[in-house]
Amino acid sequence: MQDAAGTAGARVSPEVDSLVRAAQRGDQDAFEQLVRAYDQSVLRLAMNLLRSPEDARDVYQEAFLRVYRNLHSFRFDCSFHTWLYRIVTNICLDQLRKRKVRKEEPAVVETSEGALDRTEGFEEESAAANPERVTWNRQLGQRIDDALEELTPRERMVFELRHYQGLRLRNIGEILGTSEEAAKNCFFRATQKMRTLLGDLV
Amino acid sequence: MTCDAVRKLIPLYYYGELTPEEEDQAEAHVHECAACARQMEAARTLAGALDRRRMEAPASLLADCRADLAAAVRGAAVEPAWRLWLAAAGATLAGFTRWSQPLGAAALIAIGFFAARLVPAGLGVSSASLAPSEGVFVNVRSAQPDSSGRVRIAYDETTRREVFGPIDKPEIQKLLLVAAQEEDDPGVRVESVGLLKERAGSDEVRDALMNALLHDSNPGVRLKALEGLKPLAAKPPVRLALSQALQFDDNDAVRMQAVDLLTARRDEAMVGVLQNLVQKEDNSYVRLKCEKALKEMNASIGTF
Repeated sequence: MQDAAGTAGARVSPEVDSLVRAAQRGDQDAFEQLVRAYDQSVLRLAMNLLRSPEDARDVYQEAFLRVYRNLHSFRFDCSFHTWLYRIVTNICLDQLRKRKVRKEEPAVVETSEGALDRTEGFEEESAAANPERVTWNRQLGQRIDDALEELTPRERMVFELRHYQGLRLRNIGEILGTSEEAAKNCFFRATQKMRTLLGDLV
Repeated sequence: MTCDAVRKLIPLYYYGELTPEEEDQAEAHVHECAACARQMEAARTLAGALDRRRMEAPASLLADCRADLAAAVRGAAVEPAWRLWLAAAGATLAGFTRWSQPLGAAALIAIGFFAARLVPAGLGVSSASLAPSEGVFVNVRSAQPDSSGRVRIAYDETTRREVFGPIDKPEIQKLLLVAAQEEDDPGVRVESVGLLKERAGSDEVRDALMNALLHDSNPGVRLKALEGLKPLAAKPPVRLALSQALQFDDNDAVRMQAVDLLTARRDEAMVGVLQNLVQKEDNSYVRLKCEKALKEMNASIGTF
């Protein structure tokens, strides 16, 4: 069961359904359009969760290849968005869990545009305008990153989907295969932890 | 409403996740209670700070991702996995045409039978089994009229038998192992390998799956065999078979699955194979997986 409120309205659209059907019939253009309709938000989710362009790139590739391979088995029991996000969140959760085990992360990663410092994602005013504020922002950014690291992978995921991706908790429950109530509880725990860890900053 | 109860609702209030009644209650309380109003303000400030930590993917990264995917899909599109399954399903249907041959033969026999009935009574026919009974399939080897108007037909008889039983039963498993090598019919092989894969624990079944992976001419059968070998991907003989498939299988989908299974765990023994593949593999998904596995093992990407 789904409704507009649970799946953010615009995401359940006849156009998407017809693209899915065409892609299921083997139409490569339809598959590409489908990818382009969702890939920015998928990449943003992976990037925000994993804070690493390289890992985000892996998630992107694996998720859409899984979609490509398994699209024939999609039966419209839920929206395509929910189905896609189930795949993406599963892959990301696996990555987050692996990370909990090994915590060695280089701060600088290579992209095709050269090295990218993963600690530089934080929006900043120009240093010339207000160097103190820049320093403070950097510290705040690091504190927030550290606090996010303290969440369990599942709490992190629910928080990410609600705060940064703007999904409703009901839809998040559906994506993660749990109830709206369980998603609410998980979200509540995440916000409590953040409050405790960042309380002095706000 | 108590302060404790309201504080539980505050984060949900901020994100608009309360029912209208809960929302009214929370608002009414916060209006009266300065401490809870401060909590509400703190929730807003925290959310604002978190908003600024939002990370956008660089445009170049999106372009790289799209290029990777297009290349991997182009590689797989030669024979996408789901088309293979369709082909395999088609082959299953094609399997039924095998049965249509004996039916055709039966029709021929019927002609012969009626022809025989047309000959003057008393000449009769020399065989009692002209009309095949149900479950018996005949394959006519030759049909020759003779000068007297009679027909001489030579045929083989095949009897169809059905066996029911749990898959663990040795007799059933033995038949499945035979069926997994059914030469003429990839449909039967796909089905049998699909059933056997659930029982990959036994050495005999595992060997049959490895055999199917390395020697079956039908990629649908090889993919089923890979699925069956998945839980055994840590075992050395299975890894060897997987590495053979990764290096020599001409089907992209098979190599993509094989690389997933092989690189799911760290294995220094694979370094040479992976380095080699990085150089020669056409499919970019497989290549990227190899590169990634090498990086994780701190091995160099190339051979020098």
